[in-house]
Amino acid sequence: MTAIAVRGKRERVIAPLVTGQEVVLLVVVAALWLVLWWATPAFLSADSLRPLLIEVAPVALIGVGMTLVIVSAGIDVSVGSGMMVCGVITARLLVEAQVPLVVALLVAIAVGALLGAVNGVLIAWGRVHAIIITFGTLNLFQFVGRQIFGSQTVNGIPSTLDLFGRGDAGRTFGLPHSFLLMAVIAAAVWWYLRQTPGGRHFYAIGGDPVAAELAGVRVRRRVLLAYVVTGALVGLAAVFTIAKGTATLDQSIGSGKELAVIAAVVIGGTSIMGGRGSVLGTVLGALLVQTVASGVTQLGWPSDLSDLFVGVFVIIAVGADLLRERARRAKR
Amino acid sequence: MTEVDVKADPGLGSRVLRAVLTRREILLVILIVVVLVWMTLLGYGGYLTGPYNPDYLAASLVDAVPLAMLALAELLVIVSGRGGIDLSIGAIVSLTGMVFGFASGQWGWPLLPAILLAVVVGGALGAVNGFLVARLGFPALITTLATYYAFKSLAVVINAQQPISTPSIQSLYSLTASVEIPVIGHDIPNVPLGVFTFLLPAMVVVWLLLQRTTFGRRLFAIGTNDVAATWSGVPVAATRMRAYVLAGVIAGFVAVYTTGQFASARPDAGTAGNGLALPAITIAVLGGVAITGGIGRVSGVLLAAILVTWLNAGILLLFEGNEGTQFQLLALGAVLVFCALLNAYTTRKYGGTR
Repeated sequence: MTAIAVRGKRERVIAPLVTGQEVVLLVVVAALWLVLWWATPAFLSADSLRPLLIEVAPVALIGVGMTLVIVSAGIDVSVGSGMMVCGVITARLLVEAQVPLVVALLVAIAVGALLGAVNGVLIAWGRVHAIIITFGTLNLFQFVGRQIFGSQTVNGIPSTLDLFGRGDAGRTFGLPHSFLLMAVIAAAVWWYLRQTPGGRHFYAIGGDPVAAELAGVRVRRRVLLAYVVTGALVGLAAVFTIAKGTATLDQSIGSGKELAVIAAVVIGGTSIMGGRGSVLGTVLGALLVQTVASGVTQLGWPSDLSDLFVGVFVIIAVGADLLRERARRAKR
Repeated sequence: MTEVDVKADPGLGSRVLRAVLTRREILLVILIVVVLVWMTLLGYGGYLTGPYNPDYLAASLVDAVPLAMLALAELLVIVSGRGGIDLSIGAIVSLTGMVFGFASGQWGWPLLPAILLAVVVGGALGAVNGFLVARLGFPALITTLATYYAFKSLAVVINAQQPISTPSIQSLYSLTASVEIPVIGHDIPNVPLGVFTFLLPAMVVVWLLLQRTTFGRRLFAIGTNDVAATWSGVPVAATRMRAYVLAGVIAGFVAVYTTGQFASARPDAGTAGNGLALPAITIAVLGGVAITGGIGRVSGVLLAAILVTWLNAGILLLFEGNEGTQFQLLALGAVLVFCALLNAYTTRKYGGTR
């Protein structure tokens, strides 16, 4: 008994800060940047990288929450629609009620968390597979969002949002605030997942929910928390997305984002079957996806082609995950 | 003890409840009747912008054809178990539709060889999914998400975002024309031609495959428990692979149909908006297909497709223009969540639908 305990403790102490997948991703991203720099020297300039980071921020941010969800063997395909709801509420509050930015921000996060809670309650207590429930709420949220839009665009979004994106007001040390905030939140969740007992419960649930329940993990509460956190981050990401755009918001906000986020999480090394994954990997995955999208346009190829590369990267990442799993089983 | 007593001698009420919950067809027929009666009453009350009559219902079946066929494709894939699902089915429709458009509209192929090419391409794209999922053991959800991206991208890039709409493609619009059924046709409304040329043959073939062939029995076996099936000598990988290929083949036929419906081969035929995969999966689940595999019937899927089609048709009359499509989203989402919760409840209480 003690031997096992000691071994477990030592493994925890010497657990590496980064895993193999993360190192590989870092190398791939660096290689892509070098190739793009060689092909179009303007790529590695601040004016070219800054939009890239602004694009990465919302995807990586939602991806941080989605990592919690997928590590606990769930999935959330409703985040794009949730982003639309949070986005239009924030925009209309800012434009029509002229509330201060802080209030709009808090409302966006609260609305997102509420939508996440709807998913979480239905999934944890309805005992239905997450994909079916979130497919359903994808439609429901989209209905809600379009009702609030009222079949029109929201115009005249105030420049207070520049704090998160456009222009000099949105930067510190040359980095966009949205990206910095995302990095801070990602670091916090990374620490929570890896260093606290509560965080490790998510891995336990993803590995074997019945065993986790018997070991005293409050599975339903953890599952609910994962979806609520994802929802809250969707709210924040919606604000980031409005801030990076023009003064007009239309109904296409958030459309297709669920796929980009899930792709980033899976490319980041998180196993879709649950039980394994890391927040750092997700951030790197989002960086890779956006680098590809940005690279394709900068090389002058049709921008739709970037989806093909994302698909191929996802297949490679899942294949690598399967190979690692096989190696792990062989070792035992 | 009381629970045992109740089970030994169920009252009429609980027997009816059990039948409604476990026989999905009964529930669906009740829901269809509710929708028909409700919409007709709304029509008498003057709330509808057009007549909700048999002619309108028959004409609206033109939308049921692709939905029901793709739901049959999802039925095959989901029944095969181990999280089987095909998110790429709409993208397969887009890509095969473009290939069909090239063959029929630009290379001047006759109709039959062009359809054959679309079906072969659809089957090949399904085989890509099948190879990854069945042979290599990739999780279906993420694999078909990746191929959704890839196929969608190819469909858009292949003709630089442009639809193909030459005269020979436009003439295919006759596929959606309504025809009079022989013998009894003058007594009932005309039905869209596609119902007879596409939907009914697909239904019969899938039903025969599932109920009358070794492949069908093996598919249900691997969907219920693929470990047990392996030890019983069932070729699990080959059977599961075939399910994905068949789904692609069906998507190929749907591509031909939608090309006719739109009178052009559109690069986003199966992926515009939320795409065709989402409603197809919804209809399959609504029709009683268990997402865990091993359970599902053609009749349930057909009734679910009819329910969704007639509900959507009614909503379009109830709300004008853009409002109507929004409330269709609400209806689809609400129905899906309701039926998913019902499926889960039924499984716990009675051990699943039949």
